[in-house]
Amino acid sequence: MDIQTTEVARNPETDDLIETNKQKQQEDEAKESPENRDEEEDELRSQLLSDIGELPLTPPSATQLNFVSYFITDFTKSGHDQYIYRHANGLCVIGLAPTHIAFKDEGGITNIDFNVGKSDRSVLKVSGKRKKNAMRSESNTALCKVSTANDSYIVRCCVKGSLLEVNERLIMQPQLLNSSADREGYIAIIMPRPADWTKNKESLITMEEYKEKKGVSL
Amino acid sequence: MSDESKPTPGGLLNEAARSLHPSAVKDLLSLGVCERCILRLVTVTATFDSDLATVSSSTLRGWLGSGVEEAASPEPSICIVCLGVLQFVFSDAKQTLVKSDHVAWITDLVKQQGHEFDSFVLEVSLPSTISENERAVLLYLKGKYSDEAWLQSEKVSVKDALKVLVLDPLRASLGAKSDSSSFHIRLTYSQASDEAQGLSETKHERKKRKTDEENGSNCMSENPFKKVSEPCILSVHCNKMPIFFGGRYFKYSRNVSQSRWIIDDERMGEASVEEIIGGSILPACLGDSYKFHAAGREDIDVRMLGSGRPFLIEVQNSRKCPSQQSLTEIEEKINNSEKKLVGVKDLKFIGSECWAMMREGEAEKQKQYAALVWISRPLEEEDCNSVSSMKELKILQKTPIRVLHRRSQLERERTIHWMKVEKIKGNAHYFLLHLCTQAGTYIKEFVHGDLGRTTPSMGSILGCRAEIIQLDVTDVKMGDS
Repeated sequence: MDIQTTEVARNPETDDLIETNKQKQQEDEAKESPENRDEEEDELRSQLLSDIGELPLTPPSATQLNFVSYFITDFTKSGHDQYIYRHANGLCVIGLAPTHIAFKDEGGITNIDFNVGKSDRSVLKVSGKRKKNAMRSESNTALCKVSTANDSYIVRCCVKGSLLEVNERLIMQPQLLNSSADREGYIAIIMPRPADWTKNKESLITMEEYKEKKGVSL
Repeated sequence: MSDESKPTPGGLLNEAARSLHPSAVKDLLSLGVCERCILRLVTVTATFDSDLATVSSSTLRGWLGSGVEEAASPEPSICIVCLGVLQFVFSDAKQTLVKSDHVAWITDLVKQQGHEFDSFVLEVSLPSTISENERAVLLYLKGKYSDEAWLQSEKVSVKDALKVLVLDPLRASLGAKSDSSSFHIRLTYSQASDEAQGLSETKHERKKRKTDEENGSNCMSENPFKKVSEPCILSVHCNKMPIFFGGRYFKYSRNVSQSRWIIDDERMGEASVEEIIGGSILPACLGDSYKFHAAGREDIDVRMLGSGRPFLIEVQNSRKCPSQQSLTEIEEKINNSEKKLVGVKDLKFIGSECWAMMREGEAEKQKQYAALVWISRPLEEEDCNSVSSMKELKILQKTPIRVLHRRSQLERERTIHWMKVEKIKGNAHYFLLHLCTQAGTYIKEFVHGDLGRTTPSMGSILGCRAEIIQLDVTDVKMGDS
């Protein structure tokens, strides 16, 4: 199988540099005769293929590998179950757990509105490495309102911290919540401070505890 | 005088010395100013050249025609202006007076530091009180001999005078040239005690003097010129400017980080490319420390294969420069080590063009990768075709969640130049994805979509879930190579 190579356009600035490195280039050219290049490519191929280990039918997902899953059930109201996926770097992805009461309504979730509380969460713009202008949220701060045919439900932060972003794709595609609430249908990303997280963690339950409590298999 | 046309070395000086204002000279001598400082301060022209070094102070004194009787004391009294610097009177670090030849003493200290060199640059650092002392003496002279011609001319500084005096003998003693060089010898004179020596002013005195000068009066003459009891401490320090080595490295392990990575006192990964390469080169250079620079980087679990990634090792204060032969040996040693974690190619000494080399073609840098991808449905022939037909695909990547804690929240547009699907025998859910992308593209996020924050992604293109199992860098193109 051939590997395609792309020609890089000659840039006048690098031409000068190439003049000064002419001798180096000649040496390199001597090494890169057609046979050498083939040899190198063969070696590369064997390196790539030999490293393929066992291939399970369904490997762990990126979320499962990089995040620790926590859940909170019946938050402020019965049936309001949410997940908190915490990354090794401390960031928390918040979303609706599979047993959330909104999914029980016929037709699932039809709409989402981030304009709750005092401001529209989808409008905030966080800038810089220090995350200036991020909204500071408490665990019961409202994030958004999801609506179904019958009813609407408030989704809250569950974690105290800075709100870094909300998933504004949901506004145009609320069905993402129905199809993949645990991936593309995530609701927001929050950055808690280490001290706040330690306290918060106590009110959360692990994946195992969640499965037991709700009698589901994930 | 044997030859009228060509004056003898001491001749010019002799004349200059005799032309000095005699009472000024007498004054300064009695205050305790050394002969060389007198020559510096009282001449009309700046004729302070290296010939002066060959003239002893007693000869100088004879020329200056002083009538002041000086008791033949074994310890010369230390100059109140230069604090003994121009008299070659100083102590060592242990504050013991150095009695031996100053050039030999400096040479010894330089040789002890072990550098190999054939040229050097001399740097001198003096205590600030010396210039204050000089200013005080000049003020005193102005007060007494105002408006004399020799007072108006610019004076050769103690620093310049010292350099002139020491440079030639040091050159001879070290057997080296002294032109522009990357090897610096620094002579640092520091005061023996914390108390101000000589005539230096306290802050209060300086303020008073400044306001008095404004008011037109001169108060310096009121202060007695204190005797200097201790000479300066001279320390000699040598430093070689950093030298650079370059090459390309390979990373064969998925548990080796590029640079040393420690979290909470624990090392992440089992080794680092930086330490493996730098740790081999540093001892060969007998340097103090090293810095590792690479043209880009890869994650700890990503291998670097193909043509390797360009890197530079910067060595601080090397004592010797290893030969190409030694470098080749170092390269072989790394490549043949038991645990094949890292490989090196083309290791060589790099001159000043090193940074240009790293910057070369930065804007056009393209990277090639091979990713092992899993999809949630079986791969079809059509998928291979649709993927290969995508050229210069533009993608939008929001800052990946895994770096969002330390990077700005941005949306970056990147280009995937081409892709190729390589099927894996016997398994329709896995395939090898070869791709060539613009520098700065997050490959892992392009495959799994980062919760929809990178679009399009491999998953969205194939209409299913996609995960990346492992990643290898197969080429780092630099400009035209």
